[in-house]
Amino acid sequence: MKEPVYEVFARKAREEPLRHIGFINATDDDLARVYAWKTYDEQNWAEMCVIPRSAIIPVDPGESQFVTANAPATEDSIVHARATGAYGGSDVAIKGDA
Amino acid sequence: MARYTDEELKEKVHNGFIVEYPDEMTEGYRNALIVQLLVQADTELISAPAYFGAAKDAPSTNTMVSATAIIQDELAHANIAYRLLEDLGMDKEQLVYGRQAHEFKHPYGFDHPLENWAELVVANGLYDRAGITLLGDVFKNTSYGPLKRALVKVDQEETFHLRHGEMWMKRLSAAGGEAKESIQRAVDWMFPMAVEWFGLPDDMKRHSGQLDYKLKGMTNDELRQTWMQSTVPLCESIGIEVPAHWDEGRERFVLDYAFPCEYDEDEKRWLMDEGEISWSQVFERWKGRGPANKRFVESIQEGRAFRGMLEAA
Ligand SMILES: [Fe+2]
Ligand SMILES: [Fe+2]
Repeated sequence: MKEPVYEVFARKAREEPLRHIGFINATDDDLARVYAWKTYDEQNWAEMCVIPRSAIIPVDPGESQFVTANAPATEDSIVHARATGAYGGSDVAIKGDA
Repeated sequence: MARYTDEELKEKVHNGFIVEYPDEMTEGYRNALIVQLLVQADTELISAPAYFGAAKDAPSTNTMVSATAIIQDELAHANIAYRLLEDLGMDKEQLVYGRQAHEFKHPYGFDHPLENWAELVVANGLYDRAGITLLGDVFKNTSYGPLKRALVKVDQEETFHLRHGEMWMKRLSAAGGEAKESIQRAVDWMFPMAVEWFGLPDDMKRHSGQLDYKLKGMTNDELRQTWMQSTVPLCESIGIEVPAHWDEGRERFVLDYAFPCEYDEDEKRWLMDEGEISWSQVFERWKGRGPANKRFVESIQEGRAFRGMLEAA
């Protein structure tokens, strides 16, 4: 179940511009609205909206945070290594490490 | 395919360059970033079931609201970090639902059940502070633009978790008697746990690349010191003892016990009297994971059943 990405925009007060504040995954627009509202609840936003990432048309595709060329999935060696993770992520063993 | 060589990229990020797009990364940069985000995401995720166990013990419905609000924040933080990983080509679904418990990369400290209200608020005061220390450093220094933006919200909420912890540690300590003793007992096992998860001391540090790629700014020892700078005075100010003190001569905090040392999981007690152990022994203990590892990961993955039904529809 691959859930599409929605970009979340909001502003704190009427006179402010809408700002890109984050993103969420959702299977449809209605769920996207709910997830965005519940996820980005760190402020009392005056306005919030969600836009499917696929609907955003960058003027310069070479400079757009909304275009994410999916690189091939990373080596299992990272994902399936037994963790020795320090909180900061500095000491995760890669498979094969002692 | 990459625009830069590894050396070029390292130099660029140290001159202030912010990476935004996958084709600006080298293989090394991408792997180091993925490891960092995996640890971050898994830590946020597993803190939820850990906190949930003790939130049930809240002394009033009001306080249960703030405790569960913290859990909700942690799940949102996890979700945001897995989303960032998705943009790096990872499969979020597989990361959350497709891994074995021992493959999750949160610190060993979060493999331990929090069993009462005192342990929950000490977790907020000590572990969430470790979170702020680490993620605050990442926010200030990271060369990866999308992560820096995502951390604005996370840091705001972590500050609230920390305040919640401090306020309750003070309140229970001021009450004295059994309330204060419960804070002391929690600090006794959780303080060394937090000290340990900052990882290898700098003079033994394997080369990780996170500093070279400017994915963080401070070394393990610097982060550990920063954490102690606020944790030790907090505990001392409320009459709670910690096994560390400020050393005038060396101008830094020093630990009053053999570090690292062994931990007795059944008794929830550090075996400080048995002396120092090696870091490879610590890594072995971490790799073996702690007593609640399976239970916490299973409680997250239980949703799989209903996901299957949705997929079949
Ligand atoms: Fe968090
Ligand atoms: Fe937190």
